[in-house]
Parts: sequence; C-alpha cells; structure tokens
Amino acid sequence: MTLLDVDGLVKRFGGLLAIDDLSLSVDDGELVGVMGPNGAGKSTFFNCVSGVIHPDGGTVRFAGDNVTGVDTATLARDGLVRTFQHTRQLDTMTVRENVRLAAAKQPGERTVSALLRTDKMQKTEDEVTQRADELIEMFELTRLADEYASSLSGGQRKLLELARVLMLDPDLLLLDEPFAGVNPTLTNEIAAHIRDLNDDGMTVVVIEHELETLTELVDRLVVLQQGSLLVEGDPETVLNDERVIDAYLGS
Amino acid sequence: MGLVQNLIFGLVTGSYIAIAAIGFTLIYGIVDMINFAYGEYITVGSFIGLLSASALPLPLPIAVLVAMAGGGIASLLLAKLFFTPINHTGPIPMLLTSIGLGLVLRNAIRLVAGRNARYYDTETTTWQFQNVPDLSVGSVDLLGGFFVTSQQLVVVGCALSVFLVLHAVLTRTDVGIAMRAMSDDEALARVRGIDTQFIRNSVWVLAGMLAGLTGVLLGMQTNVSVTTGFSQILQILSAAILGGAGSPYGAIAGAYVIGVVLALSTAFLPTGMTGISSAIAFVILIAVLLVKPSGIAGQEVRKA
Amino acid sequence: MSLSDSLPEYDSDRALVFGTVAILLGLAIAVTPVTVTIPGDLYVFFEVGILFVVYGILVLGLDLQYGHTGLVNFGHVVFFAAGAYTMAMLSAVDSFEGIALGYPWPVGLVAAVVVAGLLGALVGATSLRLRGDFLAIATLATAEIFHTLFINFTDIFGGSTGIFGVPTPLGDLAGTRDATLVTTLLVLGGLTALTFAVVARLTEAPYGRVLRAIRADELVTRSVGKSTFRYKMQAFVYGAALAGLAGAIFAMYQGAISPDFFELQVTVTIWIGMLLGGASNHRAVLGGLGIIMGLRLFSRFVQGSAPVTTGEFASIRLILVGLVLILVIRYRPAGIWGDDRELEVDS
Repeated sequence: MTLLDVDGLVKRFGGLLAIDDLSLSVDDGELVGVMGPNGAGKSTFFNCVSGVIHPDGGTVRFAGDNVTGVDTATLARDGLVRTFQHTRQLDTMTVRENVRLAAAKQPGERTVSALLRTDKMQKTEDEVTQRADELIEMFELTRLADEYASSLSGGQRKLLELARVLMLDPDLLLLDEPFAGVNPTLTNEIAAHIRDLNDDGMTVVVIEHELETLTELVDRLVVLQQGSLLVEGDPETVLNDERVIDAYLGS
Repeated sequence: MGLVQNLIFGLVTGSYIAIAAIGFTLIYGIVDMINFAYGEYITVGSFIGLLSASALPLPLPIAVLVAMAGGGIASLLLAKLFFTPINHTGPIPMLLTSIGLGLVLRNAIRLVAGRNARYYDTETTTWQFQNVPDLSVGSVDLLGGFFVTSQQLVVVGCALSVFLVLHAVLTRTDVGIAMRAMSDDEALARVRGIDTQFIRNSVWVLAGMLAGLTGVLLGMQTNVSVTTGFSQILQILSAAILGGAGSPYGAIAGAYVIGVVLALSTAFLPTGMTGISSAIAFVILIAVLLVKPSGIAGQEVRKA
Repeated sequence: MSLSDSLPEYDSDRALVFGTVAILLGLAIAVTPVTVTIPGDLYVFFEVGILFVVYGILVLGLDLQYGHTGLVNFGHVVFFAAGAYTMAMLSAVDSFEGIALGYPWPVGLVAAVVVAGLLGALVGATSLRLRGDFLAIATLATAEIFHTLFINFTDIFGGSTGIFGVPTPLGDLAGTRDATLVTTLLVLGGLTALTFAVVARLTEAPYGRVLRAIRADELVTRSVGKSTFRYKMQAFVYGAALAGLAGAIFAMYQGAISPDFFELQVTVTIWIGMLLGGASNHRAVLGGLGIIMGLRLFSRFVQGSAPVTTGEFASIRLILVGLVLILVIRYRPAGIWGDDRELEVDS
C-alpha cells in the first residue's frame, strides 16, 4: 500500500525554482533514502511534505488522504513525523522533558485538566514518563535524563531527537540528515536503530549526504537534482548510474 | 482650513519625520534593533542646537552643525556603552535596553533642564497666498487660502538635502555601499571582508547626526523640552515600518505618508482631540504590521 | 511534624491555602467591631503594599505570556485599563464625566475579566504571528492608542478626569479608613495568591511544558504535534484576563480611575520586576516586583527629608529603574533568582 504519494510537487522561492515537478511515492514498510548534490531540494522536499512550507503546486497524499499544505502539528498527530537537519532541541528543557513533551493525548495539556490536576492527568503522566524513560534508555541517554539539552554533544542531540519523535509512534518517519556531524561509531548505531525500527514496521525516508552508510541501510534510493527526480532504484544500480555520477561530479 | 494648507503642514511634518526615520531605520537594518531611545537623541540634539544658538551665540546654521556633531558623538558613545556590548544577545534584549536607556535619558534631561519648554529665537518670513478660491466640496475646502513660512521651507529644504546626500553616500561611498550590503545580509558582508563593527559604528554616528538635525528642526517648529523627541518616537517608528523596516528610501516615503495623514486628520477630526493624531499613527502602524509587515519598500521582515 | 511538612507539596496548593486564609482573615477583620488603628507612618506601607499585590497579578499574567511562552507583550497595561474601565463604566454611580451605569459590582467584575480577555483575544489573533520585537511594538502601540482614546473621549471614558463613583465594597464593609486598608491588603493579597495558585497549576502540569517548549523553539513544538498558535492565544488571553481582574479590583479599591493610572510606566515597571526577579519563575517575578516596589516605598520615605522636589525625586527614581533594567539585561539576564539554563540567551 502506498503510504506517501507525492505528485507533481512545485515550490518557488522568489525567482528560484527549488522543486520542479517532483513525483515520488513510498510504500508501507519501505526504507527509502533520498540523496542529491547541494541545492537539489532535498530539505525543501521534506519541508513541503511535512507542512513546514506550502508547495506552490502538486499534491501530497498520506495514507490515501490529501494532506497538501496541512500544518506540521496536524500531520505529526496523524503519524507523519520528521526530524530536522540542524538538530533543534529544546535547550531550556531537560532531556526527559524533551521526550515527554512529544506524548500525544495527555489531558494535562489542556487548561481544565491542568487546573484541576485530574487523576487521569497524573496517571497519563506516569505512563508518559515510563515510556519516555524506555526510549531514553534505548538510545543510551539515561545518565543524561535530567541534564538540560543544551549540554548535550552533537551526537547525543541526534539521539535525543530520535527518542523524541519515537514518542509519537509515527507511521511515516522522515529523517533529515541523521548522521550529519556524527562520529562513525555513533553513525552505525543510529543506522542500526533505523533498521530495527523499519524491521518492526515503521516506514522511513532518510535524507543523507553520508552515502556509504545510506546505501547500506536503505532498500531503495532516490536521487534528486535541481528539484526533480533524477534516478531511483536499488542502491547499487543507482550509484553506478552515469547520470548520478555526473550530477555529483559536475555540480 | 483648506486642503492645500493641510498638505503644506503635512509635508513639513513629513520632512522632519523623514530625516529621523532614516536614522532609525538604518539602525534597525544594520544593528538589527529597534532603538526606543532614539527620541532622546533627537531631544539632545534640539538642546545642543538651542544652547549653541542662544548661549554662545552662534548663527543658526552653525548651531545646526554643532547639534549634528553632538548628536553623532552622543549616539556613538551611548552605543559603545550600552548596545555594542550586547550586540550578540538578539533584538529583544536590545529593544528592552533601549527602553531603559530612554527612561534614563528622559529623566536625566528632566533633572538638568526642568519641564519647561524653550524656544528658538528665529525670525521667519511668511508668504501669504490668501486670494486662492476655496473650491469647497461639502465642508472641505479643496484649495483655500494658505501661507508658507521661511522656516517651513528650511525644514523641507534640509530634508531634501539629506535625501540627496544620503543617496550619494549609499551609492558612491565605500562605507555607504558596505552599509547596504550589511543591511541585506550581514553574514555575507562579513565573508566579503567588511568590518561589521566599524560599519555599525558608522551607522550610529550617522543616525545620531540625523537625530541632531531633526532635533533642531523640530525644536524650531514646536519647542525644545524634555519630551520634544519622545513625542515623535512612535510616528518615526510608524514611518520606518510603513516604509519597510531597514529601507531608508521606504522610510522617506513612509514619513511623508504619515505626515500628510496626520495633518489631514487634524483638519478633519473634531477639535479638542489632543494627541489623537499620534493614535492615528499607531493605527497605521498596526495596520501595516498586520497586513504587510514588509512595508512599502518590501524589505523582508525576518520572521520568528 | 513541622509546619512545612503539613503544608501541601505543590507551590500552587500552598498559594491556594495562603490565599484563602488571607481573604477570610481580611473579611473577618472588616466585619468585626474591633477597631484597627494604623500608626501614621505606616500608611504608606499599606498603600504601596496594596499596589504591589495588584501589580502582582499583572506580573504573574505577563510572566505566563513572556516567561513561559516567550510572547513579548509590551502593552500589558492596556488589559489592566480595560478591566478597570469596564468595571468603572458598568458599576459607577454618578460620575462627573463619562459613562456610569450603576450595575452591581459583581457584574462589573465579571465583565471586566471578560472584556479584558476579549481584547487579549483580538490583539492575539492579529499580532501573535509577528516576530518578537514587532509584537512588542504592536502591543505597545495598542496600549498607546487606547490611552489616547481614554483621554480624548470624555463623554465615554471621562477624559483626563476619569470616572468617579466606583463602588468600594471592601471599604463599605470595613468602615474606617484604617480597617479598609488592612482588609484591602489582606483580601487583595489573597486574590494575588489565588492567582498564583491558578497560574502555577497550569505551569506545573504538562500544559506548562508545552508553553515552555513553545518559548524554546516553536517549530520543534509544532513538529511533535502541538497546535502552538492555540497555546499562544490561550496564554495571551489568560494573561490579559488576569490583568482585567487586577484592573477591576484596583478600581474598586480606589473608587475612581483616570488615565494617569494606565500609562506606559506601569508596563515598564512590571517588565523590570519580572526580568529582575527571573522570568518563568512565579515566585521570582513577585520577588523582583517586590524589590522595585520596595524602591518606590523607600523613595516615598526619603522624599520628605531629601533636598529635592517631588518631581526631581521621581526623576531620580526613574533613572535608577531604567538603569536596573539595563544592568539586569546585560549582566544577569536570567534575573536574581532565575535559572540560566531555563532562560537561554538568544544568540
């Protein structure tokens, strides 16, 4: 079943055509990689799909529904979740708070329940804390749980971001350069986590420049150039495709 | 009062607001802060001008130059003391600091100079044009008799000179070109080797000089007191934002729009409404912020 | 078992208890036939104290907007004024100028909170999408516009004179001037404590977490499924409604209001108090406000003996206040009691 279907996407920034009639689809359970030289439009593509910016043309369908232009928060609640290229974490909150924030359906986030300090709120918060601690442990951040996110290293921030998005239990996870600025050991760890998540049924799309890890990780590879689809297919074929080699060398 | 008379008033008001708005908007574009103490820079300028003209005494044009020099120096000093050290902290802390500084300056001036208004001792010639037909439409006189004073001509003349000099500076001098580059994209300017702190200092001096000039002109048109500059800050702010924050050319356009609207509203609104014209300036300000925050010149407003 | 053990654990619950006790005590003093006398020198403590607790509600509301949610509201005084004027116009009797409808004071009180909240919703709906410093200017401009309207429309708002004849229920209950001061301080102080309780309940709950996340990074907060605009609106409206409440009780204490009470200076005082104490910490912002009001109190004491006029003294005090703001931002942006890590400086 097609989970994500992007058809004829167009996005302009002033005079610049960042996304040029891009069509791409991702099936349920796939692990897809997106690559391309700088300026190919990879992050813009994610931004259009995840509601951060409005496309100028084309449609985005998620699980059959037309979600073109729907805002980020609604998409996240519906199961379409993304991370950011330059990790954005909530520096003025602790690691645990960062993760707990993402919990959906916490009645304590509504005024009345908060004011009354209902039992349901307290109970949900206990469950949320438990789940958060599990995720924190999965990414081996337990000893940092009470530290402010500002004191984390680059690699630890990547892990925190993963823990946070997993709290949402997404159907489709869009990872924007998860290995950027991360040392090789940690890169392999993160890649392993991604593979495990995919094995458990999560559909994942990864943008990366770190081609070696990306090509080993994914089932299918998509190459973008100047805002449109250049080539797609299994990693080995794609990497040996002349057009891809040209695109990277010629740019 | 005929429309023509009101337009004349509007052009005069627009002129001195334009001079100030240019300084204000340059600070916004290049130092990336809203300087809420700018009104006090104007007040300081008007006092320096008054003191030079009456106490020394110096001829008025020299007093103006002294006021401009004083304004420039004061602006640079205040910047080095209060704004440059916190440049990296972002627009909100800098805005708050300028609000605090304005409070300090206003009250320091009040302590030293008291609350009374003083006046420039100037001789003005008035040219009357009273034989023009009224051309009434309803209760509005489209033409009607009007007068023009030499003082008003001085104000408008100064403004025009400032615009020309500014244009020359921004397009032909290295400093001016660097200012424009920094206003567009500071990171890029730095990469190109522009000494950003030096340019910021230059902007402070320039804005201070413009404030000094505005102070004298405003003082001549109204009076010199502790609130001379502060009474105009929100009109100046409105003009700058209406024109497109950061764009000096936009600020000029915005200032004349504000000036004319203020003059016309004072004419058409019932009498006895004090300060209603500043309220109108703020309404325009809010309307601009909500409808088209990029203003006339369309410079991009950096969103949160 | 010590007293602190028997007190509830949450700050909000403690405030709830304290507030209720204070209100009951205040009312009790009002109705008892026992006379209360305040020594002449101490009047000023009560007067400044009452102003402190009223402003305390303002600072707690502003802290919810800025300290917690990151909204730079530089027009807070307009909501204070909206509450006060609504209260006055609806329930005053026989004002010299302006509207005075004479309804019972509870009507005025509820209306004051509602009107202030609605004004908050209007300002919020239109301005909350603006970048921080522009939002500051938009809110500031709104406050100035209303201030001008209050001064100019004499038939409606009473012009510079303002509106007289606002009911003073506590004063009526207490009888003597001294008893009124004591009662008012206790009851209004209790209300401030209850406000603290309400605001703290919100911020202690996961609700507060969402607000703080919005302040830290709105995009991230949206990306984890929170409708951030809705929260921003709520924080803004709640803060405005609380300011309206403060305005209404202020009007009922004074018995009359005029535009003089609702100038930019009030907003500046509240801001300085909040930043000085440490934004996003409810107790800290009250503490910071306390220091600023303490300065005001001190100056009222010293004024008589100092060789300067009242006007000059006011100017000196304002210079100090301005310097405090500048120094706090430069050297201790997190405030005296604030946590640096909670209030990361923008870079």
